[in-house]
Amino acid sequence: MKVSLFVTCLVDMFQANVGKDMVEVLERFGCELTFPQGQVCCGQPAYNSGYVEESKAAMKNMIQTFEEAEYVVTPSGSCATMFKEYPRIFKGDSEWEPRAEKLAGKTYEFTEFLVEVLQVEATGAKLEGKATYHPSCHMTRLLGVKDAPMKLLNEVEGLELITLPNAHNCCGFGGTFSVKMGPISEQMVDEKVASAELTGADYLIGADCGCLMNIKGRMERKGKPVRVMHIAEVLNSR
Amino acid sequence: MAMKFSTEDFKERIKENIGDDFMRKAVAGAQERLHTRRLDAAEELGNWEEWRSHGEEIRQHVLENLDYYLHQLSENVASRGGHVFFAKTGEEASRYIKEVIQKKEGKKVVKSKSMVTEEIHLNACLEEAGCEVIETDLGEYILQVDDHDPPSHIVAPALHKNKEQIRDVFAQKLDYDRTSKPEELAMHAREMLRKEFLTADIGITGCNFAIAETGSVTLVTNEGNARLVSALPKTQITVMGMERIVPSFEEFEVLVSLLTRSAVGQKLTSYVTALTGPQGEGDVDGPEDFHLVIVDNGRSRILGTEFQSVLQCIRCAACVNVCPVYRHIGGHSYGSIYSGPIGAVLSPLLGGYDDFKELPYASTLCAACTDACPVKIPLHELLHKHRQVIVEKEGRAPVSEKLAMKAFGLGAASNPLYQMGSKVASTVMKPLTKNDRISKGPGPLKAWTELREFPAPEKERFRDWFTHHQKEKGDGKS
Amino acid sequence: MSGTIQNRDAFLANVASSLGRERKQRVERPVWKFQPQHHVLKDASQEELVEVLRSQCRLIHAELIETSLADLPKRLAAAVNLYGGGPLSLWKDERFSGFGLDELIHKQWPAEKKEVNIWDPVLGEKNIELAEKANIGITFSDMTLAESGTVVLFSSPDKGRSVSLLPKQYIAIIPKSTIVPRITQAAEAIRGKIEGGEVVPSCINFITGPSNSADIEMNLVIGVHGPVKAAYILVNDC
Repeated sequence: MKVSLFVTCLVDMFQANVGKDMVEVLERFGCELTFPQGQVCCGQPAYNSGYVEESKAAMKNMIQTFEEAEYVVTPSGSCATMFKEYPRIFKGDSEWEPRAEKLAGKTYEFTEFLVEVLQVEATGAKLEGKATYHPSCHMTRLLGVKDAPMKLLNEVEGLELITLPNAHNCCGFGGTFSVKMGPISEQMVDEKVASAELTGADYLIGADCGCLMNIKGRMERKGKPVRVMHIAEVLNSR
Repeated sequence: MAMKFSTEDFKERIKENIGDDFMRKAVAGAQERLHTRRLDAAEELGNWEEWRSHGEEIRQHVLENLDYYLHQLSENVASRGGHVFFAKTGEEASRYIKEVIQKKEGKKVVKSKSMVTEEIHLNACLEEAGCEVIETDLGEYILQVDDHDPPSHIVAPALHKNKEQIRDVFAQKLDYDRTSKPEELAMHAREMLRKEFLTADIGITGCNFAIAETGSVTLVTNEGNARLVSALPKTQITVMGMERIVPSFEEFEVLVSLLTRSAVGQKLTSYVTALTGPQGEGDVDGPEDFHLVIVDNGRSRILGTEFQSVLQCIRCAACVNVCPVYRHIGGHSYGSIYSGPIGAVLSPLLGGYDDFKELPYASTLCAACTDACPVKIPLHELLHKHRQVIVEKEGRAPVSEKLAMKAFGLGAASNPLYQMGSKVASTVMKPLTKNDRISKGPGPLKAWTELREFPAPEKERFRDWFTHHQKEKGDGKS
Repeated sequence: MSGTIQNRDAFLANVASSLGRERKQRVERPVWKFQPQHHVLKDASQEELVEVLRSQCRLIHAELIETSLADLPKRLAAAVNLYGGGPLSLWKDERFSGFGLDELIHKQWPAEKKEVNIWDPVLGEKNIELAEKANIGITFSDMTLAESGTVVLFSSPDKGRSVSLLPKQYIAIIPKSTIVPRITQAAEAIRGKIEGGEVVPSCINFITGPSNSADIEMNLVIGVHGPVKAAYILVNDC
């Protein structure tokens, strides 16, 4: 199966490990991977701030970059959601709407791809300890990927999953929200950190790099012992 | 604008409210309870998504044909002997109501909960005219007794107050000398208000839904105060936002089923009352005179725009009860009587961007609101639309942000630019990096690192690693 | 006796123009795409509906007393005693007689020195005064909604709104034959009446248990402005 990686700008620049782990997991299940070099950012930061026109150039770049791909797989629910939004954003644009439509149709979030397309739940991963999972907002509500991460995590040997209290509440990232509305974001991420601590988990796992960067950054600042992990890192542990 | 109740700026209000521990605990507790109750109520039906879709199609149909249904409603109210007044503005509505009361020589007005009368500042207008105006919903009554403290939640207006605070307010203003037990406080309010109900000349109610086919107005409460307001005074005045209408009883029952489940997780509230005209011939109770005031007050400006769907709202506050931002800042931070996600969408539309331009940014666009809405208003999309309007049409975005976004637009769209920037990032950031983290970032990173660590840029970007990785694999194969 | 309508034309013209069209003269109620309400308790038997009502009464803090027709006077008398006796406020309703309650109302209660006040339009305002000082208000249920545990009352000159509202406590007599699945059937019945040329009663009350409020710290307080207790007496009249 030919898979084009859309690793997101955060992974490319700041969390290369997440990308590497995703690569190794996908290769293990026989995927033939490519990384279209033209990829930059899906445009979400500008788009969500209301700069729709400014963000369209980034979107067009992504549409072009992935035009030839068979499957597009990304380790970020939010960025996958953005690709899925493209057709709505280019609605009525006779050139770009159909191309956006095509991209949206072949885009998958990493765990969704494993479970739905590759039909894999047991990845053979092993990780000792207690973990709690933060379901990120865009991935669960807009992309509709709720069960796939749990199915995969349930099969990880040695991992005990504990429910995160008020898991449905946003971690306070929200892209530019995290800096524009700092005082509110702080309260939100603090509650998320406290909820994670309350579970007594060794790991807080998520499937969205932005949210994880937020939670991890706050944990580190406060010197919390909980380790924040992307699900790709977990699934590639052995 | 009438819906605005604070002159402090948004950041100040947030700061103040974040420091209010009691409010925060109360809101978090209420959210958790109401969230669970709503989910249970939805689950019990089994096909909640179908219900939501039905609610949505009804509301959309009504908005698309609003002129027709309002016409039908007014005909049917009048044919039953009621009077209908169409008010373009809040002032017009208040003036009409004042005149009706003056004609009746009314002195004492009892009111049941109504957001639209808050929106048009009716109480102040009537008090100026010398009327005594008494709020009878327990929560509203508490706020009124406490020198008109503004509501902080659409359904539970006094959510931000604890029972000790309420006891103190009652003691100070009502000579209350019992405990802070909610039962005793409520009993006291019952006793005080019962006398008022029996002696009031005028009853003013809101309207949950008007029914066009029969000319009925419906009131949904748990306390029974709306029943008293509409059963005892000789004159009843009902004030409704012009969009709060359904074609017939059949659509009404669907929406009320959605409303009570979404608001409080009840299948129906204790009282759902459908009133048609004034008292019937031979009736003893019920008003002799009935007036329906239909208020536009900026709503028609929303019709026909990309924001039209916000008028589908049935005021259940489900979006408020799931909002992670409201959870921490409470209702008063919004500075509008409409708080939470619905308030952040509606307030700038009804009250203007001058006063409410920050509200659309008080959201992570997490879409919990959209998910919870029983009539499928795409609330997070509307918040986003506001941002777009603020940037593109209103030109109110800060210059620094505009420049940054322009740069983003260029950088994110152009691979060579990104390649260059991302490649040198690690080197540029090196002086700031310690243990693979940046604790004190410059420029745009500053706001981030005030609260959190920022990861240091990778020395080897993923894309570079991948190129090597592919090469190694290729080598291995050959 | 027709009422007045003010400012309508300009108002509605503005609404239509906002919607980008001329005023509409005729709109058909659509056949709705979704109609989930008809599926609730669709095939439930009368006995099953009673069971639904029973469990719902527990949730709404309404006491449910079940009785045969023959035992109704005895059970109603007992319920009244349990609630502390008179004064009593009743609708002027021939069903009291039809359900064999004449003896109780006109002989037994007066003999026990319980004041019985029957709503009578001739007495005018006095009715309200009497209802207000009553300890218990008693009415029949015109329709009963199993799903929500709701009694539906249609007002009329003989059936004042105050009887179920002003007394300290409220008892509804529910003939089993009035039980329907949910509010959907009530709405249909009301529309049926209109189509049959009847006028809608000036007041229709859907009453679900006693009055309550959660306005103080979200604590449920039973009994606020309306009755502080409510009992349903379910009579097997089938």
